[in-house]
Amino acid sequence: MNQAEVDTTQLLKGVLDLAVLAVLAEADSYGYDVVRRLRENGLDHVGDASVYGTLRRLYQAGALNSYVVPSDEGPHRKYYGLNNRGRKALDQSAQTWVSLSKALNHLLNGRSNGHGK
Amino acid sequence: MASNDQASDVATYAASVRTALADLPPDQAEVLLEDLEDHLREVAAEAGGPLAERLGPPEQYAQELRAAYGATHAGGTRQDPALRDFKLAVRSVTASAWFGQVRAFLPELRPAWWVLRAYVVVLLLLEAFSPSYNLRPIPNPFSSRGLLEIIAAAIAIVVSIRLGRQRRPLAKRGRLIAIGANVAIALIALPVFARMGTFPSIAMMESGVAGQSQPLILPNGDALTNIYPYSRDGKPLTDVLLYDQEGRPLTTSPNVGDVTTEYPLGADGQPITNAYPLRQRHLNGDPVSAPRVALPPWPAASPTASPTLSPSPSPTH
Repeated sequence: MNQAEVDTTQLLKGVLDLAVLAVLAEADSYGYDVVRRLRENGLDHVGDASVYGTLRRLYQAGALNSYVVPSDEGPHRKYYGLNNRGRKALDQSAQTWVSLSKALNHLLNGRSNGHGK
Repeated sequence: MASNDQASDVATYAASVRTALADLPPDQAEVLLEDLEDHLREVAAEAGGPLAERLGPPEQYAQELRAAYGATHAGGTRQDPALRDFKLAVRSVTASAWFGQVRAFLPELRPAWWVLRAYVVVLLLLEAFSPSYNLRPIPNPFSSRGLLEIIAAAIAIVVSIRLGRQRRPLAKRGRLIAIGANVAIALIALPVFARMGTFPSIAMMESGVAGQSQPLILPNGDALTNIYPYSRDGKPLTDVLLYDQEGRPLTTSPNVGDVTTEYPLGADGQPITNAYPLRQRHLNGDPVSAPRVALPPWPAASPTASPTLSPSPSPTH
């Protein structure tokens, strides 16, 4: 990975839970599909393993339900979806994110205008 | 890439990942790796090339997986969310101040519990051995039954108190059994006590002799003077013989108020006192007429007994 990818990974670690919860809030998904949707939304460098590990952790913590959808052509797929606990976690994390990002944007305002040191 | 190669590529890659995570406790590893092969298959199907190209070496994959999962989890099996919420709720109650106060006070009630549990056990035994027995809170010492109750209760109370005062601590298993027994007695006590207060207001007939002095009292205080049976179809029935749960003829005390009753005489010359409705007259000689009744609506599930003629094909043409 180049330096940019490493940095992204570091920052992403803190918010991957939130991103995964947000993706699942839109629609139930199976693991690979979650990765795809995250990447579609601009998180290019998120690793498959990171997403899968996060999914299993969220499931283990009781924020997700899972069910298997049988399929004729391909393999059966295990879908994940948010339950009430997961929705609550998403709301709380989203609020935290909004206030954090406000604070950070404020701090960085001078910087991105090129007036920083 | 042929699908056979794909399948073996997946299998090999997965095996390497599992090996790299072999140091995890087995139940954690199981949760973490449950979907591993499924995911790898999806990636392989989409990527078209070897997995290592697309995902990096399996050891790196395993590290990333481990880091994202956070192997600092206590316990490998998923805890049911409802159970976890329940546990949290319980904890919030037990940690509260008033709960602490109640808990501190409870030991003072122990002697009372010893007496109460003995009493309940005696009641339970009575209930078990003679279910129709009229349970009264304080037994009648003048009946042999009641005397037996009192003696049994006294013995039970003494035993219970002695058990309660034992200083010798029980082994863990013994403690569990003791706690279980106490809880069981407490739980069973509730319905037993509930039963005690709700006997129908029809007085117990200690003797089966007709025409006895105690009138049957309805809940509103009136004396029961007659019974009007109806069939399911709403037809008033006559000469219906009624008996109570012990098989004794159910007799009212009809000579109450302003009615007199004619009992039919049996072939043995004895009056038949439990055939309803009774034939009664007012003091002025007028017969007592049947009251208007509100028949309940039977469920329409089964057709009534009265046969209905279905239209038959016309016999002649």
